[in-house]
Amino acid sequence: MMGESGTGESGFLADTALAIVAAVPVTLALFVACAVGASLLAGVLVAAQQGRVGGLVARAWIFVFRGTPLLLQIFMVYYGLAALGPVRHGPLWPAFRDPLFCAFLAMTCCCSAYIAEVLRAALAAIPPGQIEAARACGMARWTLGRRIVVPQMVRLALPAYGNELVMMLKSTSLASSVTVLDVTGVAQQVIAHSYRTVEVFCLAAAVYLGLTAALTWLLRRIERRLDPAGGR
Amino acid sequence: MIGDDVALPVLLGFGHDGWALALIAGAGLTMALSLTAMAIGTVLGALLTVAQMSRRGWLAALAQGYGLVLRGVPELLVVLLLYFGTPGLLAAIAALAGLPAPGSPPAFLTGSVAIGLVSAAYQAEVFRGGLLAVPRGQVEAAIAAGMGPFTRFRRVIAPQVLHHVLPPLGNIWQFNLKDSALVAITGLAELMRVSLVAAGSTRRPFAFFAAAMVLYLVLTSASSAVFRFAEARAGRWAGGR
Amino acid sequence: MAFSGMRAIARFLAPGLLLVLGSCQGSSAPNAHDELVIGTEGLYPPWNFTRPDGSLAGFEPDYLRVLCARIHRRCRMVAMDWDGMVGALLTGKIDVIADAVQITPERSGVLAFGRPYALTTGVIATLRGSPLAALPDGGARLDFDHRGPALDAKIAHLRNGLAGKVIGVELSGAFDTFLNQSLGSAVSIRYYRTMGERDLDLLNGRIDATLEDESYLHPLLATRDGAALVLAGPRMIGGTMGRGEALAFRPKDNALRAQFNDAIGATLADGTVRRLGLQWFRMDASPGAAR
Repeated sequence: MMGESGTGESGFLADTALAIVAAVPVTLALFVACAVGASLLAGVLVAAQQGRVGGLVARAWIFVFRGTPLLLQIFMVYYGLAALGPVRHGPLWPAFRDPLFCAFLAMTCCCSAYIAEVLRAALAAIPPGQIEAARACGMARWTLGRRIVVPQMVRLALPAYGNELVMMLKSTSLASSVTVLDVTGVAQQVIAHSYRTVEVFCLAAAVYLGLTAALTWLLRRIERRLDPAGGR
Repeated sequence: MIGDDVALPVLLGFGHDGWALALIAGAGLTMALSLTAMAIGTVLGALLTVAQMSRRGWLAALAQGYGLVLRGVPELLVVLLLYFGTPGLLAAIAALAGLPAPGSPPAFLTGSVAIGLVSAAYQAEVFRGGLLAVPRGQVEAAIAAGMGPFTRFRRVIAPQVLHHVLPPLGNIWQFNLKDSALVAITGLAELMRVSLVAAGSTRRPFAFFAAAMVLYLVLTSASSAVFRFAEARAGRWAGGR
Repeated sequence: MAFSGMRAIARFLAPGLLLVLGSCQGSSAPNAHDELVIGTEGLYPPWNFTRPDGSLAGFEPDYLRVLCARIHRRCRMVAMDWDGMVGALLTGKIDVIADAVQITPERSGVLAFGRPYALTTGVIATLRGSPLAALPDGGARLDFDHRGPALDAKIAHLRNGLAGKVIGVELSGAFDTFLNQSLGSAVSIRYYRTMGERDLDLLNGRIDATLEDESYLHPLLATRDGAALVLAGPRMIGGTMGRGEALAFRPKDNALRAQFNDAIGATLADGTVRRLGLQWFRMDASPGAAR
């Protein structure tokens, strides 16, 4: 059961590399959509934690999504919810029908829980004196948030937030388990027809390594730009 | 015949057609898998820390490179590569030694090694941070007070390192526990796999994935309680803060 | 005969699993007096499936029990995923594959097949309300080993009927190759790791149809969930889809294969295979049955 007769060793690897690289946009699109979605949702969660009822809901959300594996969450959204009548026959079915959307939804919910924890820690690290001082100066709530809280939060949260983004980029590979043809999905498809597991997975691993390295480099640069010490 | 037309409470129960025992046994295997992975990660992570702090440039670079690769590649691919790659690798090694091919190692072993390899990369960072957190002056003072290297490690370094590393180690443990679900693709009947098999063969995915989520929540919250307890103890040991 | 699945053992010995499995490693070079290790998937009902208690059940566990008794060998069945099974056989971890393996030309290059104990066709299943339910040539038998204008016309019917539809199949199964080579450009193919996942997506309508063995589909259609499905179009056999299900051996294990072939011949003659087929597939799937 050796796949179709290829054009030789280097030919096979080159074809595979091309197929895998062609799937990079799917992986990147999923990552960017999740990064934006999860960050916004995390902001909502942190805001909700300031109130009593909202705090309870936010804490339950974080508990569930941080306490279970992302793979299980993806299966739950993809197969679990699709088995429920209201989802299956509801107006949102066209979205839930799409594997990519289900992966996006599960990853966004999951990552929002982790990012919310990062933001909460950063919020707690802002000296309360600063906020009191701003209030004493008569700063309005909105201005206080915009000028004092958010800029510091961004800087304080950035290293941990960056780690979460790298984790998220790696997690996109789980989308392949619900038939999404991302980098890992395409790799598995190539293997199914060539039975050449190790070479193909190594190629895919190299692609992810390149992507995470690029993301890490980008985050470093942003961190330096935001460093008030002038960014060596 | 095959879990067909059986009511949901029966499917989730302990009877002949029920999957409750299988799910609980799966949770047990998940726990065993994660503990083995964590242990592998701790040993390898400590070795990596030593290598990173080594004066031999190539050794430090090797440890550094290991960390970069294992933290930059998806855990899923590490599991897949190890599962499919090791039989060939072992056969090649055996052929070099003139032995017959040893066959493929059991899924439990490849799974825990895969998660352990990733865990080691993160644990090494934590150990390094913990060691750097011990003020240089204290070590010097201990030497001046005439403490031997073993006493120094036991009385001065270890308590403080432990105090520093326990919270991040708790985090890594939680990641191990959740990453162990990836081993499901190798066919090992841990919690994720059992829930997938049950969901597929009974065609009741919502119920079984929900049940698995509850069991994972039990595992993660119970183990985080254990870590909190240990942190409180270690805090007292390190001089009570 | 200890016929319990590896999974059952693994579950109850989870803490000491390393030791247990470590000792399994030692016995990887089987000799004639040791027990035979038989690999199966445990996820392909009614051929072989895993019960909630972890034990294996189905046509093949039952049938292999009969065969092993006939050749006077102790046998143990272990469950593993299909994509690792051939490697496990070739590296000596298992001695026989019993997983409804179709005798395909591709596989014959690496595996040595025993005498077929079943002959089943592939057929398309779709939701009752789907336009695909009205595919032409319903029930006709398409033999891909007998090429000719008649076959080409029927393939064209199939290609036109399925054009633009999403078909789900198991990754690296026999139907995967057929769809890719014969219909690949007309349909979009979605791959699943297990049958169960594919069935869920077929029932909820994410995929339009599947191409699957009739022996799997008949029992599925008889369940409450499966009642939503119908079979459509021709029954297909031969070519890349293979012709008959058989045990797979290492090519060098000729003696073992001959032993099994004798036993299979005897069970085909005395009606054992027919009886097990009626019990598990709701039809006589033996190669000689006139269908």
